[in-house]
This record gives sequence, structure tokens and C-alpha cells, in this order.
Amino acid sequence: MIRLAYYTFVLMKRALRETIRQPGFEAQNIFIPIFFFAVITAAIGNTAGRAFGVDNYTGFQMPVAILQGIAGAASVSSFGMVTDIERGYFDKLLLTPTPRLALVLGRLASDGVRVTLLTALIMTIGIIAGAGMEAGVGGFIVILLLGGMFGVAYAGIGLSIALRTGSAQASQAGFLVFFPLLFLSPAFAPKDNFEGWLKFLATINPVTYILEGMRSLVLDGWEWEKLAYASLAIAGLGAFTLTLTMLSLRYRIR
Amino acid sequence: MTAIFAEALVRHFPPDIRAVDGIDLDIQGGQIFAFLGANGSGKTTTVRMLTTLIQPTSGRASVQGLDVVKDGQRVREQIGVALQEASLDDLQTGRELLTLQARLYHVPSREVTTQVERLLGIVDLEDAADRRVKTYSGGMKRRLDLAAALVHRPKVIFLDEPTTGLDPISREAIWRYVVELNSGDGVTFFLTTQYLEEADRLAHDVAIMDRGKIVARGSPEELKASIGADRITVRVPDDEDALLKRAVEALKSVNGFEDARISEGTVVIYVRDGKSAVAPIVRALDELGVPMEEISVSRPTLDDVFLRTTGHKMEQDDLLGAPARSQL
Repeated sequence: MIRLAYYTFVLMKRALRETIRQPGFEAQNIFIPIFFFAVITAAIGNTAGRAFGVDNYTGFQMPVAILQGIAGAASVSSFGMVTDIERGYFDKLLLTPTPRLALVLGRLASDGVRVTLLTALIMTIGIIAGAGMEAGVGGFIVILLLGGMFGVAYAGIGLSIALRTGSAQASQAGFLVFFPLLFLSPAFAPKDNFEGWLKFLATINPVTYILEGMRSLVLDGWEWEKLAYASLAIAGLGAFTLTLTMLSLRYRIR
Repeated sequence: MTAIFAEALVRHFPPDIRAVDGIDLDIQGGQIFAFLGANGSGKTTTVRMLTTLIQPTSGRASVQGLDVVKDGQRVREQIGVALQEASLDDLQTGRELLTLQARLYHVPSREVTTQVERLLGIVDLEDAADRRVKTYSGGMKRRLDLAAALVHRPKVIFLDEPTTGLDPISREAIWRYVVELNSGDGVTFFLTTQYLEEADRLAHDVAIMDRGKIVARGSPEELKASIGADRITVRVPDDEDALLKRAVEALKSVNGFEDARISEGTVVIYVRDGKSAVAPIVRALDELGVPMEEISVSRPTLDDVFLRTTGHKMEQDDLLGAPARSQL
């Protein structure tokens, strides 16, 4: 276990260095969610808030911006993985005594760090813009943790595609998966407003619970049940994507 | 002690490519072993199996007495590998890359800096150590890749076509490092190459691989001696097939004749005593009216061994087979 942690740490540092040297990727991951957050709250904030019975639509939208930013940021590691595969550097890593699991965990850990920082930035901007934080500093920290864990779990999708295909185009699909997940969740209106198939899809969508967990901390304070569901949704997604990633790794080195 | 061993090693790729077709190896420690073969002959697949990157379809192999399938992790601790085309991370500097490599091999922290500096010195990259790898030339990348393979002082090093595409100066530098490490530290090298000169100059032991099988094995001298004849090359002004075939027919009557092959517009004749055969060859060609542009006598080379054992020249195979079979 200590050995695995050591290698994961060493490879996480390398992946973070890679990120720092490609600032363009991060700039895009910061700009896009903040831009949408600003435009949506300014354009439809008042109207949507009244229509859906939401007093603080800026606070309602802030978790959406966070998840959007995380999805973008989490896809970066799949590009890094594809680049390593294409350059042959991934083989170089496979030739070292590094445990195979650490090759994946190192990238995921760096994603965790990156998305946590990104979440902190978006939350700070959101709070300045009037989103508020009913659960206080503790709520801020819990959203950071949820964001970091969701980033790690979500990054597994792109990473597994990258390992399976070695293709940058295919691994980009990992990011695209997020849009249906986001739009089939209560991203723009509370779930109570949904009916029929949309309500069903929102109910089975893990993003719904992560969003509602984060949103409860921003708008209502500590609602333990919603936080438990959010944690379970992330854990389930994480278990699924990590399994997928390990299967893809096994496929690559078979 | 046997450093690298393989028995009936086979690797298939779907649908029906038998990239390595039952090879046996027994390479002693402290040797430079050269694996010669054209693109697609199965050299790289063999290296990938021996270095644990892929698993054999059947057969078994070991490195330093450790089974490459069962003891993969321990094998990786024992070996250094520089793969075909320097596989490096362009975003890191040379120093960072070596430091990371040292950490992945658990080089003690207090030794990492010293070891990295030593290796940068060995491969003449001290001045470029803090530049990102993407700014390096092909030769510099190769040297850095070699340094990365040495970072944990392995006793066995696999170099897969280490000098392909390099200029003569960089190639010479790589050769020098290999010889120094082998003679100085007793490092065993498993070297794959398409360059016959490279194998001839460096290797104690050579195997020629063709279509997944080892077709010849021995020291360079033994292999060349196995030809048992001198080589006379005759160039005719017009390399039409008919003219070349007439030339071969004319030469069969020469005393000491052993074999003749047409290769790239020339006729290569193997005769027992090259010097005394020149005059009869010239006469025979003249009598049959075959014009001659150039004639030369030489001792056999590994090129001749390759031609004799595989039935084709290395370069011809490269041109024909490289795109389709380059990963085998």
C-alpha cells in the first residue's frame, strides 16, 4: 500500500507538471464554465428564479458551473494519457517497476488536485457574484471534497477510453458524455418541475444527486441525506469508471 | 551465467500473424548480443516479450533467471530498456525526466542528484539538461533515452534499434557508450539492429532473424567464416535481368565457384579464392559478350551472411516490408 502511494505520488507530481506546462488547457477549463455561469445568471436568473420558485438563482447555478468546469478539467488527463501512448512514453513507464494501478492513480490523483483548485476558484467567483454559502466555511470545504472526488471519478471515463483506443478523438467523447448527464439533471430547474421520462432519467442520473448535494450546502445549509446521496453517487460512479479503466489497462498490456 | 533465456518462444497477433515463431535464446552475462533482422522480422516483438511489455503466446523466457511472465515486476527492476524511437516526455526537461526515472526505480533519494548528474555527463547532455526534451535533436533524445535506461545501474540492457535514423556522429557516440558500459561494468546488452555494420562492430554474439525465426547464430567472425568463400561483385552497365542472368551462367564455369546471386543490378559471386578468380571471371564474361563496368573482391561480410541465410538483402526487405510490418 505504501509502495502504491509512493508511485502514485511521484506520477501525480509529473502529471501536475505537465498541466502547468500546458496552461492553455486550464485557461479553457476555467473560462468556459465561468462564462456560462455569468451569462445564464444574468440573462435568465431573475425570470427562471421566479418561475421555478428559487430565491437565489446565482447560488442555484454555481454547482452547475462547478461540475461543468470539473468535467472539462477531468478530460485533460485522458489527452495526457493518449499523448504518452502515442509518444511511446507510456511503454517507458510500463517498463519500470511501477505498479500498473499507480499509472492510472497518478493521473487520477493529479485530476483530483486540479479540479479541487478549479472548484475553489469557481466557488470564490460565485460567492463574490452573490451565490452565498449557507453551510459556511465547512460547506465550502465539503464542496471542494465532493468536487475533487467527482473529478477523479469522472476522469476515469476519458482515461479508460484513452487506454482502450489510444485515440485523442475517442477520449474526447469522455467530455461529451457530460452534456447529456448535465442536461438530464436538475441543472436549470429543480427536479420537482420534471415529469415523465425526464423525471425518470434525472432520478437515475448520478449527476442529479451530486448537484443537489452541492446545492443544498449553498442554498440550505447542512442536509445530511442529500450529502449522503451525493457521496454514494460519486462512489458508485468512481467504482464503475475505475473498474473500466483497469480493464482498459489490462487490454492494452495483454 | 545465463542472462537471457528463451525456449520455443512464440507470439501470435490476430488474425494469423506469427510474429515470433518458436525462437530459442541462451545469452551469457557480460555479452553484447545483436539481433539482426529487417523490419517486420520479429525483433521488436521479441524485445517486448523479454521486457514484459507483452506476453508470449507460448514458450517461456527469463531474464537474470526470472520468468518474464511470472516475475514481471522483478524482471523490470533488473533491466534497462531503450525502445525503438526514443520514447520520452517532451514536456519535461532532460534532468526532470532522469530524476523521475530514478524515483520510479527507487534509487535512494540521496543518490538521485549524483546519479542524474553522472548520467548527463556520460551522454554529454549537461548543457541541455534544463531544456525541455521537445527542443532536443533526434541524437540527443536517443542519448537521453539511453541515460534513462541506465539510471538504476541495470545489469541487462535492451536497446531496440538504438541508432536507426541517427547521423554518423550520434551513432558513433551510442556505440561508444555501449562498449564502455559493457567492458567497464560488465553490462549485458541485447541489441536489435538493421545495421549489419553495427552488429559486426559491437557484438560478441549475433542472431539473424527472418520471418519470426532465427536463421543463423554465432559470433560475427563465425558467421562470416561460414560463408567459406570470397565475394566478387560485378557491375554491368545495363542492369536488365536477361543480361544479369547471362552473367551468372557465364560465371558458373569459373574454378572455385560456389554461389552467385543477383542483387540490386549487380552480380555477387562467392568463390573459394577471390584473387585468383578475377582473371577467369573477366575472361568468362568477355567470351559471352557480357559488358562489365566494375569488379571488386572482398572478404565476406554480415551482409553476405544475411543474404545467404535469408535469401534477400536487408535493404530490399525494408523497402518492401516496412510499412505493413513495422510493429512486429
